[in-house]
Amino acid sequence: MSASSNTINPWPFLLPALSLCLLFFLLPTLNMVILSLTTETGFGFDNFKLFFATPHLTQALYRSLILASSATIVASLVACPHAYFIVFCVHKKWRPLFLLAILAPFWTSFTIRAFSWQLVLSDNGVVTWFIELVTGFSVTLGILYTMNASIFGLALFGSMLTTFTLYGALVSIDHKLIEAASTLGAKPFHIFKDIILPLGLPGWLAGIFLTFIVCVGDYAVPTLLGGGLKPVLAQIMLSILKGTYDLSQAATIAIVLAMTVIICGLPIILYGFAKRRRFAA
Amino acid sequence: MNNLIVSKFMFSILTAFFCLSLIVIYLPIIVMMIFSFNSGKYQTLPFREPTFEWYVALIADSSFINSFLTSLMMASLASVFATILGFLAAYAFSKAKVPAHALLFGIVICPLVIPMILIGIGMRLQIVSLGIEPALWLVLLGQTLYVLPLAVINLKNRIDKIPQSMEEAAISLGSSRLKSIILILAPICAPSLFATLLLTFTFSFDEFVIAYFLTNFEITLPIRIWTSLVTGFEPKINAAGTAVFIFSLTLGLIAQFILLFKQSDLSEYRTQ
Repeated sequence: MSASSNTINPWPFLLPALSLCLLFFLLPTLNMVILSLTTETGFGFDNFKLFFATPHLTQALYRSLILASSATIVASLVACPHAYFIVFCVHKKWRPLFLLAILAPFWTSFTIRAFSWQLVLSDNGVVTWFIELVTGFSVTLGILYTMNASIFGLALFGSMLTTFTLYGALVSIDHKLIEAASTLGAKPFHIFKDIILPLGLPGWLAGIFLTFIVCVGDYAVPTLLGGGLKPVLAQIMLSILKGTYDLSQAATIAIVLAMTVIICGLPIILYGFAKRRRFAA
Repeated sequence: MNNLIVSKFMFSILTAFFCLSLIVIYLPIIVMMIFSFNSGKYQTLPFREPTFEWYVALIADSSFINSFLTSLMMASLASVFATILGFLAAYAFSKAKVPAHALLFGIVICPLVIPMILIGIGMRLQIVSLGIEPALWLVLLGQTLYVLPLAVINLKNRIDKIPQSMEEAAISLGSSRLKSIILILAPICAPSLFATLLLTFTFSFDEFVIAYFLTNFEITLPIRIWTSLVTGFEPKINAAGTAVFIFSLTLGLIAQFILLFKQSDLSEYRTQ
């Protein structure tokens, strides 16, 4: 068996996919790095110096970071009870259905979801209408077009993502393990601490990582819910490419954003590697 | 089984929280749907009179219909390309000995763990550097790249579970490698292939950044909607949103349904 399975030549199968990645991903990335390092006088870090000397860009970077990390924290906390409920409170047969119920809006346009929140949160939206109906006072909500509205919108999206990855980790925990622990006298808290927590953690961290990535690069929620007055980096990139068209500045911002993702994701990536190495050993 | 981990008290708290979340998640979408049938130009409650005028206006607007057709074409082609390329790549990663396996797999999966906007900007800067005019075929290839990781991951999961012996049997009986893939592997993977097709279609259909950066004039539906949202509200956006939501949701749900429920049916192929 092994003799013939080793004879599969992987290249004909891999080549189409790899060449697409090369042409539309690796090459553009390399090009972007080169562009960000190209200055009028030659090669150097001048573009980056300029970036960090420009207040409205550094403020946008700061806002991107605050927005993405707040949304990620909220999302990761909300996802836990969701996944916990689906895996441990719902019969095996119905789990996928409950998962789908919470994930369904995930499969549809990001823009439309952000827009639909405008209808709810705006000063003459549904929430205001409801409060006025109940209390009889006229209120001004003042939530739409603030940072909080952006955080809310992104956290909602992130919680779906994290629920999904955490569900995957929790659902594959062998139930015999829990039964054995329980038979041997473990209390729910200890079962949680010694079985569920360590086995669920990778799924949770994966969700956190992905949520942060999506949030830090998003333009739709910050534009539609956060408003355009205090832009995040992604919004600035969008406007550069459709407006002033300063290519090396766009490339520089993109590289700064990429570095941010790498630096923020590094602890989780390293954790993943350490874990894999330990299993391999 | 429940009481081992979750006490009665915890159970009720978790249930309540879950229901609350469902309400929060679906509230804005339901509101949008209600507004799409509401007469009157302003998006305020209370509800006035039910009307279909926004849907009629939507269908009469050729810019909407054209962008919808463009999106439909892009998504159909991109999903077919991505599923084929993904199937081939998944087969190699699963069954063949690939040199530098982790690196190559990482490269294929990478677009999934990079903010979309970076990939879009990279492509835009690249075509500007090369002097290529923005065009739809670039969008098509860009979106294929964007959904390729999804296809590879889904299909690799499936192919991993198929015992090598099935193909071995076919080959030892005189079939060629290609024939065994087409006649044995592909039919076994059919539900997964179908689900992948739908899933990649949905993602490509809703994709905005790549389409925004790689075309100038032939716009897709997400761009049409986005433009309308940022430049001045049209009430028919509610109708467009509702239509797009139901369209993508249906496809996405069917795909997810197949992936989640059909997973166990491989057991019948497993040898003792």
